Amino acid sequence: MALEPEVIFLVDLLAIFAIYVIVNLSLNMEFGYTGIPNFGKVLAVGAGAFVAASIPGRIFANIAGIEGDYITENLVIVSQINLWLVDNVGIGFAVFFLTLGVAGIVGGGLGLVTSYPAIRLRGDYLAITLLAFGESIRIIGNNFTPLVGGTLGVQVPDPLSFLPNELRFPIATIGLVSIAAAVYLYSEKMMRSPLGRMMKAIRDNEIVAASLGKDTAKIRIKVIIVSAGLAAIGGALYAFYVGGTIAFAYDRASWTFWPFLMILIGGLANNKGVLVGTLIFVVLRKVIIYFKDSFEGYVPFDVVWLDFLLLGGILLAVLLYRPQGIFPQKPTHTVSNGIAWYRKWF
Amino acid sequence: MLLDPIFSDAIIFASLLALLSIGLTLTYLTTRVPNFAHASFATIGVYIALITSQIWNASPYFAIPISFVISGLVAVSLYLFILKPLIRKGASYAIQMIATLAFDLIVIALLNISADYIIRTYQVLSREFTLRSYDEQFLGLPLLVFVAPITIAILAISLHVIMKKTKFGIAMRASTANSDLAETVGINVKLVYCVSWLLGGGIAGIAGALMSLWFLGDPNLGPQLIPSVFAASIVGGFFSIYGAIAGGILVGLTEVLGTRFLAGEFGAWLIAYRPLVPLIFIVVTLFLAPKGIAGINWSKLRKIWH
Repeated sequence: MALEPEVIFLVDLLAIFAIYVIVNLSLNMEFGYTGIPNFGKVLAVGAGAFVAASIPGRIFANIAGIEGDYITENLVIVSQINLWLVDNVGIGFAVFFLTLGVAGIVGGGLGLVTSYPAIRLRGDYLAITLLAFGESIRIIGNNFTPLVGGTLGVQVPDPLSFLPNELRFPIATIGLVSIAAAVYLYSEKMMRSPLGRMMKAIRDNEIVAASLGKDTAKIRIKVIIVSAGLAAIGGALYAFYVGGTIAFAYDRASWTFWPFLMILIGGLANNKGVLVGTLIFVVLRKVIIYFKDSFEGYVPFDVVWLDFLLLGGILLAVLLYRPQGIFPQKPTHTVSNGIAWYRKWF
Repeated sequence: MLLDPIFSDAIIFASLLALLSIGLTLTYLTTRVPNFAHASFATIGVYIALITSQIWNASPYFAIPISFVISGLVAVSLYLFILKPLIRKGASYAIQMIATLAFDLIVIALLNISADYIIRTYQVLSREFTLRSYDEQFLGLPLLVFVAPITIAILAISLHVIMKKTKFGIAMRASTANSDLAETVGINVKLVYCVSWLLGGGIAGIAGALMSLWFLGDPNLGPQLIPSVFAASIVGGFFSIYGAIAGGILVGLTEVLGTRFLAGEFGAWLIAYRPLVPLIFIVVTLFLAPKGIAGINWSKLRKIWH
């Protein structure tokens, strides 16, 4: 039984939505709540994807005893691994979760590196420095072949290869959506905690926060590390979902600028806004690509450029006419308040 | 051939970076926003040169004045319709930077649409094209090797005269130093800023028209170039036009000649890492000398030296 094209469309849309929600929540944590202009978000996302591309395949090849150079014979080795994984589902999942953990740690480590400028520089200088950090990952990935195969890219083993083809993508999407939901709950809880209030205090007036005895540098470092770790997990999940990694896909448009656009349209410092902004973006892009062929012939250019025009225009309109986004920031209830509210009504 | 082509490449690239960096500095002085769309203003110039040479059959050098006007007007529209209202609403620098990114997306989309239109209507190659064959030869070298540095010299001298001798220059320096005070003495600060953006974008347009004679033209040139332009401006100190020229030359020469030299020492694989050079410049400058070349206290350094 093959899937209907409409179902494939929806399943893929939800999966990309879930991955972007993870990345965008992490950016909202940094930029929306703490005010750190991370123009190098792609650094952590790319690092996660590179971990997924370089580590699990080599582990599987070792356990299964598959010989050969992992990069040059990548296609053959990964297809052998996927066959082997059909009978070794347990090991597959163990290594999958191990990879997510490693991606989180590597992302966090890179977060520590990015926090070095982030506590010393401010303003546009910080933004440009982080941009430079983010750019470097694509250049290194593109040229240092042992990492992710350079310009040819590598395949990523599929822990779900035991599933029949028509179930693989729906099940992967369910997994992705549940991980995104977990990140959402974690992020909501963080924002309602004392840490979350401190982050907003640092964003709004760092000097006042410091004068109240808060160690603002430490909070900034903490937030950057957690957020980079989450973004790296998002990147690793994306690599597993699409089944491959190629360095040039980790450019500043896809993983820095689009996330900024989504959280700004949805509303900064509001996780509901992140969900709505991400949904608008993902649906708009998918719909333009889906209906691409029916546009063709009416306009004398390639229709994909319409999404650049539309998204750039929407973002400028939001910035000019509704700078707080669709869902403005609201005073958050603390956790205990939430419990009181729950007791009152249930 | 008098010179190894790598030297022509270095001279041209360094001059273009210096030109782009002058323009970026002129706009940064007014609004204090690093403009992500700046390098795409140059791409507009590249396409005007393509249209001039391939469709109108004229020398690409005729594209220089046209590019100056069109890129300048595009830059003014970014300032007038987007940045100025944002600043009035008190948007942070990060939001303004993102707004320039969004504007860049629109410019890139329009450039791509124009490229599609040119190839479909005129059957003229409009992506990864080169206009090198349209350049004249002078002393066995492409004319551009001489024109690019001379353009910088002319611009530097005229900007110096404008800034130091004319009423507009004095108004401009007053507006960037303290815009509130400048307004109280009757300077139309908004108009001064508009002219700065016109000049900044226009100079980027000139750089683009010249660029088409040496580099492969493509609608997505801007995002590829912008790290080098930022690096040149930051090395130059971001507040000084002379610093911008020095920064452009330094970053440009290092990118071309430095990577070539290191590749000769350590192996050809190093060439591919050339895009890292501007990023290293940015990070090192911001950590060690955040005010760039223009901010270094040379007399103090001389004392340490002796």
